Amino acid sequence: MINQTPRLVLGICGRVFGARTRPRQNELDTLRCPTMLNSLANIGRFGNFSAQIAVRVGRRPFFYREIIAQLWSTTTQCVLPVMAVTFPFGMVMALQGLEIFRMFGAERMLSSLISIATLRELSPVLASVLVAAQGGSSCAASLGAMRIKEELDATEVMAVDSIKFHVVPRVIAMTIACPLLNIAGSIAGVAGGYFTAVYIKHESGGIFLTELWAFMGPMDIYGGLIKTTIFGLTIGLISCYHGFRATGGAAGVGKAVNDTVVHSVVAFITLNYFLTSALFGAVAP
Amino acid sequence: MTIVAKKLAGIGQYGLWVARFVRAVITHGPPKGQTLHEAYRIGVKSLPILVIISAFVGTNLALQGYNAFKPIGGQRLVGMFVALAGVREMAPIIAAAMIAAKAGTEMASQIGIMRIREQIDALEVMAVNPLAYLVAPRMIGIMLMLPALTIIAIFVMLTAAYTVSVYQLGLPGHEFIHFASEIIEPVDFLYGAIKAMFFGLIICTISCYHGFHCTKGPEGVGAATNRAVVTSSVICIVLNYFVSELLYGGAL
Repeated sequence: MINQTPRLVLGICGRVFGARTRPRQNELDTLRCPTMLNSLANIGRFGNFSAQIAVRVGRRPFFYREIIAQLWSTTTQCVLPVMAVTFPFGMVMALQGLEIFRMFGAERMLSSLISIATLRELSPVLASVLVAAQGGSSCAASLGAMRIKEELDATEVMAVDSIKFHVVPRVIAMTIACPLLNIAGSIAGVAGGYFTAVYIKHESGGIFLTELWAFMGPMDIYGGLIKTTIFGLTIGLISCYHGFRATGGAAGVGKAVNDTVVHSVVAFITLNYFLTSALFGAVAP
Repeated sequence: MTIVAKKLAGIGQYGLWVARFVRAVITHGPPKGQTLHEAYRIGVKSLPILVIISAFVGTNLALQGYNAFKPIGGQRLVGMFVALAGVREMAPIIAAAMIAAKAGTEMASQIGIMRIREQIDALEVMAVNPLAYLVAPRMIGIMLMLPALTIIAIFVMLTAAYTVSVYQLGLPGHEFIHFASEIIEPVDFLYGAIKAMFFGLIICTISCYHGFHCTKGPEGVGAATNRAVVTSSVICIVLNYFVSELLYGGAL
């Protein structure tokens, strides 16, 4: 009876969480349990994977060429989508902002509002969404295809650490690329606002440029860069995690890409709230 | 030059594909059976993620509005800022981007897998039009669900912004509601729904197009999914400007 107690407890816990008490041997890795337990297990696996990456970052050899190649491909892939998204968003902000400011006769304020909103919030978030959609998903797709074609196993057979060679450069490249793309996005966003305000709504261009930096502090510029560095790290880790664990042929790669985009967007938008509160000090006086 | 020519050729192919799709829908009539299933998969499965994302976007709108208006002593205008930016622009865009990321990628990868397993060819052999059988139900599903999701996103966003501005920023709640209700008009919800239907059309056609033209192998599916989400979210945001200009810019 005493010997049976742990199994009994486990069994009751399993019933409560709905898990099967004794998983079949071939299901041990992907425990067929309901959503809650499974997502908890996934969070654990993700933490484990991140720790494995963190251990390998400081260790020789550093694959510089691989890092630079990944950085180049991520940046060139993403720069056009990022600018193509922030430019029209700046235009929309000018369009809607003018409507508010004309109520108070404060059209002068428009450009400072646009620059603050773009640098602090819009450009980091939109750039990261596009980096997740373009860079993260292509990273997951390429790693997933390597996993399916057993190229990662081949790397291991050749006594090259596959995480060290394939994953770490991608994560580092994503972490560096995201702030760079944020700079491009910020410039495009403010340019979009200028375009609408001056050429479409016929405000004065000189006032726009003078007032651009009126409320701007150094924290507004660094804050966006700090945020996007953290977002880039998140996207890199999540996309490599999903790509590295892809199973089940072409369908598995599709699912990995899908999960990458959704999970990384949810993760960094949740982080964004806490980072904004911390960096820009928005607490009740 | 070849890149430009390729892009142009891609746009032309997309146009031809959409024309074939429209013809298939007209000749085959409304799709039967699968539509509700697709609507459930697109709408209900994406709802939890949409709620999380729009809640956090709402909180951030409140924080940034507070920070932007504080230097001129207008922090009471947070409600107005959130209502204007959230209801008119952010909610439709966030809903569209999330659906492009969740349902759009799912469409592209499902149809892409059908393509490389030659199931689409099998459908054609059985004299079933794949465009009418596979794409039309998804189109109707997304156009039904996206306006609903947008309006849910608006409410979640406003609730989150209210919570943050009252409990974190310590602003009086009745002023938030007063300024927000001054800006929001019933017609805004209609405009949001119109925008969302428009975005749904774009997301569905682009994702299914990329799925249909998927190349062999696992990379093919990955690349198709990737291109589907990037193209559809970029085009949605670019078109958002023109739709906003049309609806709010005094043209109507």
